[in-house]
Amino acid sequence: METGIRVLLLSAALALGGCASIHHLFHRHADDAQAANDSAAADQDSDAHPPRVIDPQVERRKIKVPQIRSHNVEVGVQYGALSIENFGTNPVYGFTAAYHISEDFFFQGAFGRSQAGRTSFETLSNINLLTPSERYFTYYDLSLGYNFLPGEVFLGRKVAMTSAFYVLGGIGSTDFAGDSKFTVNFGGGYRVLPTDWIAVHIGVEDHVFQSDLLGVDKLTNNLEATIGASVFF
Amino acid sequence: MQRLPSVRCLLLVLFLAAPGLCGAREYLQVFVVAPYLELHTGPGRGYPVFNVVDRDGSVDVLVRYTEWFKVRTDRGVVGWVSEGDMLHTVLADGSAFTFNRGDRAGFTSHRFEMGMFTGVYGGATLISAYGSLSFNSQLAAEVSVGQFLGNASNGVTADVGLAHVFMPEWRWSPFVTLGTGIVHTEPKATLVQPLNRTEQTAYVGGGVRYYLTRRFFLRAEYKSHVVFTKLNSNEVVDEWKLGFAFFF
Repeated sequence: METGIRVLLLSAALALGGCASIHHLFHRHADDAQAANDSAAADQDSDAHPPRVIDPQVERRKIKVPQIRSHNVEVGVQYGALSIENFGTNPVYGFTAAYHISEDFFFQGAFGRSQAGRTSFETLSNINLLTPSERYFTYYDLSLGYNFLPGEVFLGRKVAMTSAFYVLGGIGSTDFAGDSKFTVNFGGGYRVLPTDWIAVHIGVEDHVFQSDLLGVDKLTNNLEATIGASVFF
Repeated sequence: MQRLPSVRCLLLVLFLAAPGLCGAREYLQVFVVAPYLELHTGPGRGYPVFNVVDRDGSVDVLVRYTEWFKVRTDRGVVGWVSEGDMLHTVLADGSAFTFNRGDRAGFTSHRFEMGMFTGVYGGATLISAYGSLSFNSQLAAEVSVGQFLGNASNGVTADVGLAHVFMPEWRWSPFVTLGTGIVHTEPKATLVQPLNRTEQTAYVGGGVRYYLTRRFFLRAEYKSHVVFTKLNSNEVVDEWKLGFAFFF
């Protein structure tokens, strides 16, 4: 019995050893074939390309294109005199903001405020038609402007400043005497630019609206003359 | 008096930093590929040509004013070049110098637009303005404000909504709008002083825009507002308006 078991174990050991040899033999042949292929490929590569000494690692530069600034927006202040029909001429101040659409046209929003004086009737009869808060004349308008006669202003031999006349017209609202009225405005002005981003204006404008304040419904003309300064950005 | 040295230090730092900050600005450099580039004395078609830059010469672009570019040559000469002439320049890598032009292509696809209207809001005279931000050539978000002035009441409106343009490449391009807003109404005094009121609205509308020239177009629009009043029934207000607008 014991001899039989020994014979069985010996047979099994031989059988496993033989399999391992065959496996090793197969792999060795496969490795040899792979090595031969690699060697042939390396020979071909060395024929096609010379061996690399330095492997360059170059990153493409990202070029940042600088932005171009635009000077199409203009913001300014103005001060002048406003003739309120029947209520005398009084100081007026205001703000403007404009967008220059082209070299010819610009779009402008304006806001202004003044305080009306007394009518001749009020002065003679000593009766107040309006309360102090109703005497505030406040307007805003949205206008389209057109530049014409562009030119240059020369100061001496070395200083030249661009300039232009302009006309504008638009619509808006006027708050006066306790009521808001639809208002049409139109006018013109002259603009000089000492630098590219600063402008000085003088302008005249008429604000026309329907009013029945003095008993008769009529169109009132309210002329305004201003001087102002603005900044382009 | 104790703070004086620190103020001086701050001023000194600002004084020292100012040239650096001012000088840090880089300008775009473009190269002339046309036979020459004309420099005008001012930003307008009537200003005379006083200098030229030869082919392959370069200029720095300092600033843009409408259709004009202020440039500086490598010899320090500063002048104005028209938009059309700048199309004949290239960047340093040889690619074309492109920029936003106010033309028909810009009308089809642009980023912003603004405009002003006059019209009728529920029988009252309307003054209105709007601004728009485009997501693509067909869809845009819009904000509009207006003031209506009537015989019975005055008031202001503010709307925010979306606009969809059907055929943006057409000269006549129709669009529809949808949105919400508020209306503040101030009735005029009669025998009894009524109260001012502010109410929410929703609107649906449509219109058409017509390309005029350069950056300009006309815009006609209708909106039907539903005013959510505190009464038993809501109120419907029609708004018709016509105006001009521009894109940029």
